[in-house]
Amino acid sequence: MIQLIPGLQSTASALNAERIRMEVVSQNIANANTTRGIDGKPFQRRQVVFETVLSNQQQGDLPGSGVQLLHVARIDKDQRPPRLIYSPGHPDANPQTGMVEVPDINIHEEMADMITSSRAFEANLAVAKTSRNLAQQTLSIGKR
Amino acid sequence: MSPLSAIQSLPMKDLQGLSSLQNLPGAKDALGKLPGNIPLAELQTLGNSLASQATLPTSTLGGNSDVARVMASSGPNGDSFGDMLGNMVKDVNSKGAASSDMVTGLLSGQNVSLHQAMISMEEASVSFQLMVEVRNKLLDSYQELMRMQV
Repeated sequence: MIQLIPGLQSTASALNAERIRMEVVSQNIANANTTRGIDGKPFQRRQVVFETVLSNQQQGDLPGSGVQLLHVARIDKDQRPPRLIYSPGHPDANPQTGMVEVPDINIHEEMADMITSSRAFEANLAVAKTSRNLAQQTLSIGKR
Repeated sequence: MSPLSAIQSLPMKDLQGLSSLQNLPGAKDALGKLPGNIPLAELQTLGNSLASQATLPTSTLGGNSDVARVMASSGPNGDSFGDMLGNMVKDVNSKGAASSDMVTGLLSGQNVSLHQAMISMEEASVSFQLMVEVRNKLLDSYQELMRMQV
């Protein structure tokens, strides 16, 4: 396969990774008040861990300069303990103390993460746009 | 070997597959920007009509003109220029089919993300433009030859 648009492979991988990160952030915001998850415990904040992988398509590349792709290594649980809120009437409250365990999710932190992710996505879109434009302008070499 | 016989020798269904590119939103505006807005399905008929004329200069110039030699000469891996051009058209066609698959997958709710579909559409559109540019250059050089005083 000919690769006409330079740098598109790594940009596509980064876009994919940022999309996953955005999904994790939205999960965190959506479950900020979830007191009972699938395992019966309060929801725990998730965070993505990115890592670099080498592309296996290295045909036209110089030796030792494989395309480095971004990829989500894993989605980790944040190990912060849950916050305790006094609310004796709550169904999930501790019958002795009346305390409810609520996930320790800080909405400002999540918003900052979301903005970081969306800016990174935009940066990669800009790369894709620029390299597309470059390819198109190269095709018009020699036009009258 | 005539310059356009590569296009002519392509199976018709390949070119029909290419014309489905026009239905894609990304390819549509790219096609709109092309000089003269060349309809893809006409490539075949154009190739036919020009290939019949293209035998004229080679016969009048003695059949061993430089152009004919270049067209039929083998590259480093044994392919003639015509084969190379045919492979390129096939490549463009498969890119178009891949992007069409992606869009179908996206719209039918399979695990295809939006940017993957857009990127494959862009790739199809750019490689199609490259093919059209090569075809334009071939036609230009042919017309240049036809204008030549013998």
